Amino acid sequence: MMRTVSKWILAFGAAAAIAASTGSSQAQQTIRVGWTIPAEESKYWMMRRPAEFPDLGKTYNIEWTQFQGTAPMTQALAAGALDCATQAPLSLSNGVVGGNLKAYIVAQHVFEKPGGFSVYWAVMDDSPIKTIADLKGKTVGISVIGGGTQGPFNMLLKQNGVDPAKDIKLVEVGFAVSEDALRQGRVDAVNMNQPFAARAEAKGGTRKLFSLSQAMPNIVHILEACRADFVDKNPELVKAYVRDITSGMKKALANREETLKVVSEVLKAPIPVLDTYLLKDNDFGRDPGAAPNFPAIQKMLDIYAETGMLPKLDVAQFKHPTIVAPLQ
Amino acid sequence: MTWSAAIGRRVAPLLACVGLLAAWQVAALALKNDGFPTAFEAMRAVPAILGDKEALINILASLRRMTIGFAAAVAVSIPLGLLMGRSRAVAAFFNPLLMVIYPVPKAALMPIIMLWLGVGDIAKTLVIFLGVSLPVIYHSFEGAKAVEEKMLWSGAAMGLSSVQRLVRIVLPAAMPEILTGCRTGLVLALITMITSEMIARQSGAGNILFNALDMGQYDTVFAMIIIVGAMGIGLDAAFEKVRARLVRWSEPQFDIPLSFS
Repeated sequence: MMRTVSKWILAFGAAAAIAASTGSSQAQQTIRVGWTIPAEESKYWMMRRPAEFPDLGKTYNIEWTQFQGTAPMTQALAAGALDCATQAPLSLSNGVVGGNLKAYIVAQHVFEKPGGFSVYWAVMDDSPIKTIADLKGKTVGISVIGGGTQGPFNMLLKQNGVDPAKDIKLVEVGFAVSEDALRQGRVDAVNMNQPFAARAEAKGGTRKLFSLSQAMPNIVHILEACRADFVDKNPELVKAYVRDITSGMKKALANREETLKVVSEVLKAPIPVLDTYLLKDNDFGRDPGAAPNFPAIQKMLDIYAETGMLPKLDVAQFKHPTIVAPLQ
Repeated sequence: MTWSAAIGRRVAPLLACVGLLAAWQVAALALKNDGFPTAFEAMRAVPAILGDKEALINILASLRRMTIGFAAAVAVSIPLGLLMGRSRAVAAFFNPLLMVIYPVPKAALMPIIMLWLGVGDIAKTLVIFLGVSLPVIYHSFEGAKAVEEKMLWSGAAMGLSSVQRLVRIVLPAAMPEILTGCRTGLVLALITMITSEMIARQSGAGNILFNALDMGQYDTVFAMIIIVGAMGIGLDAAFEKVRARLVRWSEPQFDIPLSFS
């Protein structure tokens, strides 16, 4: 009798141990995610309001690492130091071409919706530069030389008879200092992005010369990519992550007031500054389901190939058959 | 030392700080550049950072990494420098390596270190370690090299082993030079603490500094520079007190008058 009871106790103990170990291994599943600022509202919601996401912290965890721009995140993805990260179509493609990176685009953060904000080049109101052709011989600022905006920028210049390599002096001017550089005459034209564009417009004295939307509509600025080997090995984990990105985007769009607070907490920027543009008509577009616009990304890859920044690439290699936003 | 000289010694650093702030204020007002706030605007942003619990957690996370990196570097570099100073073979082996690593900006190694060690604390601590270790090794090396041979002979004559001679004769004799290296290393630890967070970070003072830079909030950027500068002054002053106690015997006496007339 004692022996039978002992057996049952042992069996129960073993079952409990197995159940506990299974539960803890699920809870310990962690995705190492890279992020940057600004314009990743769904991820900011996940960071700052984790209780709103039932799976986050329970069935899986996220180890967040902030990066300065998308290019270092491409290196970290290629080195296996990150599992998923914010990417721009160009940085991701550079990783594929030069870094043997294999990745899937699982979601999209922001794009240039027709009628919404498009990255533009500004000149001073009294500048003699009236058209793109007038940029010949001028000093032009761009946020990152060789960065994502340069492909469409080069294409627009070429279309207007300006050789971007010979006819202009291209200098790197970060978005945060672009307004200053223009007003002080250090550049003749410079690219503007939010929230700095809204601030410059409110101050007056500058005007828009041309915007990237003239090169193509629906330009995708930032998207979410995950390493292909990680996705293939952990499909359920990545699905849970993409489900939360989808849900985060919905929450961000549905509750602007709370999104302003969330973004202010992450960016440490005052709400009145964010309120001038965030999720308004003068902001970038966000797909309600965080769905990547693959045809638009293909068009961008074609522009990069046409301007000599990348070899010809097919966007299909970035598409997973099932793991892509929106996931419910 | 006379009473007025003592007052002057205490007031001089304060006057230097006030002079710097005044020059900054005048320059910012003259330049009228959004990217260069006045000293007053930057100072006004300091309490907001120091009053924010999250900002303090970030600053403490950086200081924790700095402390670990500094302590590890000192623990490794002092014995290595002393050995290099007393052994030609060790010096011949390590000197070329150090000469190669010394001029490389440590922050520039961050992307490579990140590939090896990931994006977590270890990579950042290693950058701090590298930044601190070189001056400490160099000064320990020079300090050990300058120890008089006859002191070592005396030690040997008294039956001290080579390790005992290193610990009981070379280390104390080289201590003033070693501590000078540590003082330089402390400042470099603070610099590399910030630069190691430039590319990737999970927490740290860089979160505040580089986010503010990205968002064009220059008062916060300069406020953080003031905070880091103040941390540097505080750490240096604290270290100087420790150093003065440890090597009082080697200090020159500045208060001896130049003339007795």
